[in-house]
Amino acid sequence: MSSRGATAVLSRASRIRSKLQTALEATVLEVDDVSYQHAGHAAVKGSSDKETHFNLNIVSPKFEGQSLVKRHRLIYDLLADELQSGLHALSIVAKTPHETNPSK
Amino acid sequence: MATSLSNMFLKGIAARSLSRPLNGLFYCTRYSTTVSNDSDTHDDFKPANKLENSGISLSNVIEQDVKDNPVMVYMKGVPDFPQCGFSSLAVRVLKHYDVPISARNILDDPDLKNAVKAFSNWPTFPQIFIKGEFIGGSDIVLNMHQTGELKEKLKDITSKQ
Repeated sequence: MSSRGATAVLSRASRIRSKLQTALEATVLEVDDVSYQHAGHAAVKGSSDKETHFNLNIVSPKFEGQSLVKRHRLIYDLLADELQSGLHALSIVAKTPHETNPSK
Repeated sequence: MATSLSNMFLKGIAARSLSRPLNGLFYCTRYSTTVSNDSDTHDDFKPANKLENSGISLSNVIEQDVKDNPVMVYMKGVPDFPQCGFSSLAVRVLKHYDVPISARNILDDPDLKNAVKAFSNWPTFPQIFIKGEFIGGSDIVLNMHQTGELKEKLKDITSKQ
């Protein structure tokens, strides 16, 4: 059992979720693999890796006071290893808890 | 023959360093013709080496692009023929506004692609610059379109500029 656990390989989606949750302490973290929508995409032809496109929806207090560019840049920095190893594109929605509940 | 080859590559380099692309297709076609049709190219004539030796820096090219063109897009494909959904989305949003869109196709030039990533410290494409400012990718451009920010930012740019 332990050896099976030791040899398990996390999917890219799991790695992404883990990295983002650890750094951002997100109250909402949705990681959707939409790679199937981009199958045959010219720029990723020949890629043996199937997990190439993800939609991210993240709500985190870490985004407070940050512009959209800075929020996206923060996320890209956290996922730099994935972008270097086959992750092709991310669609990002990044908000603070306040922005999702303006009336509070 | 040597003279002819030299002239051919000098034109290629000149095209690459145009400060204002006439249009992406023009840039793309010239560059491709210069490089891809000549399998016998000697290393001494390869554009990358020539570019390095001539002192033309790709980061200078980008800096000039961004400065000279009020709306500058580095994308996959060209505005009339995007080769990626995200690049297509960004161009479709920008076309809502009556502004000239300048673009370079990063699929044609791996060195340009890497230079743009380094310039903006942003790992994906498309990348949009407006009046010299890095704006972001298609998500951010769409968001700014929806909030009205994009209209504000583009309001003093006209197609006659």
